[in-house]
Amino acid sequence: MTKFGILLALAMVFITSTAGCAKGTTVKNDFIDGESGGDAETLNWILAADATSFSYAGHTVDSLATYDNQLNIQLRCLAKDIEVSADGLVYTVTIGNDLKWSNDSPVTSEDYVYTLKNLMFSDWLNYPYKSLWQEEVDGKTVLVTPQVVNDTTFTITRQTVYPEFVYTIYDLTPYPKYIASNYEGNVEAFTQASEFNNLTYTGNLGPYRFKEWIRNDRFVVERNPEYYLGKDIGAPYFNEYIVKLFSTSATRQAALEAGDITSTGIEPAEVNRFRSMPNIKVYTIPTVGYTLLAYNQRANGWEGLKDKTVRQALSMAINKQTISQAILLGFAEPAYSFIPATSPWYTDEGLAKYGVAPLYDVQKASELLYQEGYGIKDNNGTIKAANKDGSPLHLILAVNTGSKPAEDMAFSIRKDLLKLGIETEIKLVPWATLLRQYVMNAAPDSEQEPGDNNGPEAVSQESWDFILMGFSTDLLAPSGSHVFFTTKGGLNFFGYSNPQVDELFNRVMSKEALDKGARQQMYADLSRVLSDEQPVDFLIFYRANVGFQKNVMGIEPGINMGYNYYMWYFEPVK
Amino acid sequence: MRKSWLSDYIVKRIIYSIIIAWGILTITFILVRVGPNSPADKYLANIAARGGDPAQVTAAVEARYGLDKPIYVQYFNYMGNLFRGNLGWSFSTSMPVSELIKTHWIYSFQLIFLSSLFAAFLGILIGIYSAVKQYTKTDYAFTFLSFIGISIPNFWLGIMLILIFSVKFGLFKTYYDTTLPLFSLDNLKALVLPVITLGTGMLAGYVRYTRSAMLDNLKKAFVTTARAKGLPERTVIGKHVFRNALLPLVTIIMFDLGSIVFGGAYLTEIIFGIPGLGQISFNAIFANDYPVVVAVTLIGTFMVLLVNLSTDISYTYLDPRIRYG
Repeated sequence: MTKFGILLALAMVFITSTAGCAKGTTVKNDFIDGESGGDAETLNWILAADATSFSYAGHTVDSLATYDNQLNIQLRCLAKDIEVSADGLVYTVTIGNDLKWSNDSPVTSEDYVYTLKNLMFSDWLNYPYKSLWQEEVDGKTVLVTPQVVNDTTFTITRQTVYPEFVYTIYDLTPYPKYIASNYEGNVEAFTQASEFNNLTYTGNLGPYRFKEWIRNDRFVVERNPEYYLGKDIGAPYFNEYIVKLFSTSATRQAALEAGDITSTGIEPAEVNRFRSMPNIKVYTIPTVGYTLLAYNQRANGWEGLKDKTVRQALSMAINKQTISQAILLGFAEPAYSFIPATSPWYTDEGLAKYGVAPLYDVQKASELLYQEGYGIKDNNGTIKAANKDGSPLHLILAVNTGSKPAEDMAFSIRKDLLKLGIETEIKLVPWATLLRQYVMNAAPDSEQEPGDNNGPEAVSQESWDFILMGFSTDLLAPSGSHVFFTTKGGLNFFGYSNPQVDELFNRVMSKEALDKGARQQMYADLSRVLSDEQPVDFLIFYRANVGFQKNVMGIEPGINMGYNYYMWYFEPVK
Repeated sequence: MRKSWLSDYIVKRIIYSIIIAWGILTITFILVRVGPNSPADKYLANIAARGGDPAQVTAAVEARYGLDKPIYVQYFNYMGNLFRGNLGWSFSTSMPVSELIKTHWIYSFQLIFLSSLFAAFLGILIGIYSAVKQYTKTDYAFTFLSFIGISIPNFWLGIMLILIFSVKFGLFKTYYDTTLPLFSLDNLKALVLPVITLGTGMLAGYVRYTRSAMLDNLKKAFVTTARAKGLPERTVIGKHVFRNALLPLVTIIMFDLGSIVFGGAYLTEIIFGIPGLGQISFNAIFANDYPVVVAVTLIGTFMVLLVNLSTDISYTYLDPRIRYG
């Protein structure tokens, strides 16, 4: 949900301690977090689109709110929760009156409104996530309207109702108007501004202050004694919080084992070994990441994939237990829709659970294909999948290189499909190639710029039948997934179209969904329809393993372990 | 007289070097810029996950860094800035390229310098010893170890060293610590495993080359003459045989020095978390950060040209018969 909350949780995947335990704890030592996801692009976060940039900046500036492991909203820069008008159009935001910039001037609602209006919504800066603040009104795309009410209160007004828009607002982080206005209109000067690239303005807005960033090596922040949430209890309790980058998981894990770092992610195959170490504690937590197998329903995919029964048959032959147990060693849950079981919007009832018994059934899958005309029967009655003209089926599965589990999944799927008689060619391609040549599409013989969904006629440069891809979902606002599954969804690269799904997503983002009970039912219907329709085969939701040195105290494993990491502390020496 | 033709030669080589560097720079620039990828590619996954419009983001990122202009405009802008000493702005690390290089070159340099020193010093000593003691048990042992050293991949060796000496025995930190003062024993200690990792392959090679070059010369008539004149064996080996064996060795060592800058050193940097130019340029290539790619290529080109020039000059001192026109 909140940008910094989610991204911190995803990138650092940690944390928590209880306030009671931490009281009286003395500040000592440095926390070294071993990461290997690549370095950030910039600390000037408004220009960033990568998760690491947000996670780095997030150590020094809080967003308006985040959520805890039970998905309860936790106020950060907010003085009280955001108030939504009865008609669902006006959001009133009240920030704390103890927030300060580095020059000791107060952070005011003017700073937030300036950040929205003059920076995020501007044409000159090209904020990458501007679309999150836009709405469709009478066929036109317009921006929402922020307005200052007083020093600590501002409003954001929409013209259309979107019940989950509040979670976008929770993400909001301000830029200081007194600095940013000096660079307004000059993108080069803004990009290179030392105040933003060195986070010198952050005042008491985050638990830590920027200290040092050595590219491709380490990002260091030091304790902020003025932190508005921690100054009364002496938090945070580490002198420095250091993100140390490693290029391989082997060296990252060796560093944890040797005690050179405090925490890092553990690969599934290493979890048992680390669990047996006396100095390490490993936590297994659910995540919002999932992997799916997209079925190409566009003109350059196998024609059978446009047939719902065929898609069901294929999903019925792909064993999700093999993927979750044999490839990911139990650190994954089979997925049946885009909403994970950890989301409050998840409904189990009515879900078609393809890929798990009884809907994992190769024999029945063969029969379904035969019934649809995509199979031939030999004299013994054995069915082999084939094209309608009886020719053998050769399909293409594209997957990006660099992820061992993804590659293993691709080979497992190939093995499963071979049981139906389908030969699958796996194309391992770099991520950028996968996006540009397989995902992006344009109508043939047109002037269209390639996009992720350029309409029903559009096709990708390379032909494909399946793409294995990782997605993530928002636990509190899953409606964002409309971009994948609606006919005009910006990321519906596989060409799925179902008016019922379009209507349900429209309703879940409308006034009707202000009623939470009604919204719950809409999400249940959406999950049920998508699990039955199988526009994609939802494969698995991941579980992450995070290892800590045992003396890190107060860790509470959960979906958003990082929500109050500023309260972590090292166990006092007895 | 010698000074005159040598200085003319050096000036001529420097002019050639500048032309070659310009050619390489232009080719690198074009290769990076005409590729199908965009600096925005690295954002696309995250943008997609958050429901953003990848096409809009690509356009925005390219416009922000002037990559939406025609390539010839970008090229002339870049060259104009380069002549003014401005290497540009790295958009994958958000800092001036010159500052980026200034911060990181030392990490690569110390690793390459110490590894080369370690490999050349030990490799030559062992090679001489092996040649002089040909077909003894020690020679066989060194030959056997050399083949192992040549065969072991850096990547594997580095991880093994970490697991044994850092994790098992706790003698070294598992990664290179950039906070250590450059000229300190702690820094030297932190470089022990990386230097062994990078230097082992080179060392093994130098043992083989030195042994072979020494054996070639040991059989020559001038060695027999020197011995017949009653010169002590140490003088025969050190002054006559080794000096003649040195010529091909210098070529190989200098060639290695040029090739490890962006080859072997990169892998070692990866394993030990050393933020050197190898890592910087590798990441820049994947981020399509062309100002960094071009600048690092330029530095590498000049280094190789400089090494070649030094090699050629050193020949004239090692063998005074050599002259360049």
